Amino acid sequence: MESAVVRYRIISQAFFLTIFVLLFLLTNYRGLDEIRYPVRIFLEFDPLIAFTTLLAAHHLPTVMFFSLAVVGSALVLGRVFCGWVCPLGTIHHFVSWLYHRKEKDILPRSTLLGYRIKYYLLFFILASSVFTLQSVGFLDPISLLIRSMTLFVEPLVNLMVHAIFGFFYDTEIRWITALTEPIYSLLKNNFLSFRQPYFHQALFIGFLFVAILLMNFYRMRFWCFSLCPLGALLGLVSRVSLLRRWISEACTKCDICFSGCQAFARGNQDKWLRSECLVCGNCQNRCPEEAIDFALSPSAALTKPGLNLTRRNLLVSAASGIIAVPFLRMNSNYRNPNPKLIRPPGALEEREFLKRCLKCGECMKVCLTNGLQPTLMEAGLEGIWSPILIPRLGYCQFYCTLCGQVCPSGAIKKLTVSEKVQVRIGLAFIDKNRCLPYSQGIDCIVCEEHCPTPKKAIWFIEKRVQDRGRIVKTVKQPVVDLDLCTGCGICENKCPVVDKPAIVVTSIGESRSEVNRLSLY
Amino acid sequence: MVQEPNRRTFLRTLGLSAASITLSPLVESLLPGSTSLAQNVPIDLAVAEGSSIPKITSAVVDLMGGIKKFVSRGDIVVIKPNMAWDRKPEQAANTNPHVVATLVSLCLDAGAKRVKVFDHSCDDPRRCYVQSGIAHAARKAGAEITFVDDRKFKEMNIGGEVLKTWKIYTEVVEADALINVPIAKHHSLAKLSMAMKNWMGAVGGWRGRLHWRLNQCLADLTSFFKPSLTLLDAVRILVNHGPQGGRLEDVKGTDMVIAGVDQIAVDSFGATLFGMKGSDLGCVKEGHARGLGRMDIENLKVKRVHVPTP
Repeated sequence: MESAVVRYRIISQAFFLTIFVLLFLLTNYRGLDEIRYPVRIFLEFDPLIAFTTLLAAHHLPTVMFFSLAVVGSALVLGRVFCGWVCPLGTIHHFVSWLYHRKEKDILPRSTLLGYRIKYYLLFFILASSVFTLQSVGFLDPISLLIRSMTLFVEPLVNLMVHAIFGFFYDTEIRWITALTEPIYSLLKNNFLSFRQPYFHQALFIGFLFVAILLMNFYRMRFWCFSLCPLGALLGLVSRVSLLRRWISEACTKCDICFSGCQAFARGNQDKWLRSECLVCGNCQNRCPEEAIDFALSPSAALTKPGLNLTRRNLLVSAASGIIAVPFLRMNSNYRNPNPKLIRPPGALEEREFLKRCLKCGECMKVCLTNGLQPTLMEAGLEGIWSPILIPRLGYCQFYCTLCGQVCPSGAIKKLTVSEKVQVRIGLAFIDKNRCLPYSQGIDCIVCEEHCPTPKKAIWFIEKRVQDRGRIVKTVKQPVVDLDLCTGCGICENKCPVVDKPAIVVTSIGESRSEVNRLSLY
Repeated sequence: MVQEPNRRTFLRTLGLSAASITLSPLVESLLPGSTSLAQNVPIDLAVAEGSSIPKITSAVVDLMGGIKKFVSRGDIVVIKPNMAWDRKPEQAANTNPHVVATLVSLCLDAGAKRVKVFDHSCDDPRRCYVQSGIAHAARKAGAEITFVDDRKFKEMNIGGEVLKTWKIYTEVVEADALINVPIAKHHSLAKLSMAMKNWMGAVGGWRGRLHWRLNQCLADLTSFFKPSLTLLDAVRILVNHGPQGGRLEDVKGTDMVIAGVDQIAVDSFGATLFGMKGSDLGCVKEGHARGLGRMDIENLKVKRVHVPTP
């Protein structure tokens, strides 16, 4: 029988994980121009992101003040966010529970090492953000979870469901499809993506995600214990929290409490590490003597056990964070814009953009056409997993403003529809050697008919051509109007020259840049 | 997979013809006045003008002999509008939602079992369905609105001059009654996009490839699909920057709906709204030459009606 604390903790974990998944599913176009409840809300409560954004970009989106609530919770209750709320923590907890639930023994000593790594990582991240590098997104748990869900889990789940129901559908046996198709439509209308998403690096991102999940086999909540920089930040705050753990006289020093401990909070009273305790309640739950109790108390009588973070290591991590800044920025994008780096509409000027982008992948999740993809090296190491539009995979829908709406840090500005249609993200160029009316003298116009600007940015030169049978006819050869083209990429996307399109968008002309321009306006 | 009349449709046709032959004198004797007259004289094209979109839509169907001539009790009806673009009704890139909705109600009133409305759009389908206003209006009228399901495109024999086989949406072919409801608008290659061009939204594959020999392809598709009725929405027409437009300057209010069974004739009439003739359009000319219909509308029986505003 679980104790009340454990029961409430499990309910809370389930509740917040459910909310997270629901918001994740709602971060999607559902017939309204606005996304009311994006999963971004979780990032807004993330104090680490608020802190680094403030440091790196000297700017704090107003909504991020919500994160003070989480800091407040840590001041009172310690790392209750980690133990009771964090969706990634809950997933780790669940995996750990699956693997370790039968264990009654005290964890071996070797697995108790390494809790300090996260503090050094935190110092690395904070130091680099002082020097304007926004590196938090790689390791921040919420950002990591949204990215992994978007780029890996969701495409995987979709593929699996489609494969299963596709199998039944293809049997063409009526009574089978009569059973499976209603379930399939139910799933499709409510839970699955509108179209199967495909992302670059899905497997790589998935590999990292699975790897941190598997680490739970080695040690319970390995991520939370050793790596999580948000956990470290909340740990530091918790050191001055009001939360106290009392151990009564009844304690027989049996150390059973150790076996259930998710973290490394230690057994006996004077060595209890408040900064590591996830307030999960397992120790209290397992104590055969009911000798453990938690309470709030401003009493200063209790000592604050040291974390044993050495000054030397802290200095090294902070210095590494600082050195990382020029290291990651050693790429030629700083000299010359990358033609392939087409950013979403509303993206800030590249340097400002990188100071804010958290690589959470929400913009990629909402992109109607699946055109927004994570970068690999297009934006340098600093910009890895930031959004890039690959027109061949998906174009920017003319009246859509979703990516700016879900961006948590303002790296992509929220635009109104009338602002959005004015924004240019690139410019289309025609490859006359491949374009059919130019190279083959045959009709096409597919780029022009799809061009979404009200006065089309593609117009025609009418050219008389002669075919092999000496018949002379007129073809329309497309020309891009550089004053009107927004670089949305639908022309490249729909070009019938499938393998290597005859019209290609590059980043020149993007409104956000003062350098990467062609037109005078 | 070539569609041939199956037993069900054959029996129904047989039954209906028998019934109409035996009953029509009786019905006519019972129903005095103009309605029976309208049904008696077969016309090729019906044109209704007026400011009330539902009224002109019903009127034009009535002129063609009433919806029951095209839709029977228990039918699964597919209505194929043009909702290819992320554009609003006033931008005249998609079929008018009220035309579609009225048609849905008429079909249901005629006893149709299900009325399906869908289109294989060009822009993101979700936005097209919403922005065109069609999903909302047609659903309210009782239609089933579904997005195109990729699994339901099947390679079929077109047997055309250019298109031998192509991926076709099975629900269009399997419908008991198919109604083609295009909008009349400008297109830079076909010159105008109307009934024949609307079939582009019922096929899959890389549709861009069809543009190479667009006129022949459109004639091939027109010969393949067998709509029982075609309604051309000319409530607003798009005279430039088609097929998706976007500028209100390019939209002309013509307050008209045209109906016919012969799609070539419907498109020829539509051409006149743009100051052209059917023979100016390559696909219409091609269709006429192949005997898919008639573009010489001056020799056809066209019935026009003006529905006054109440």
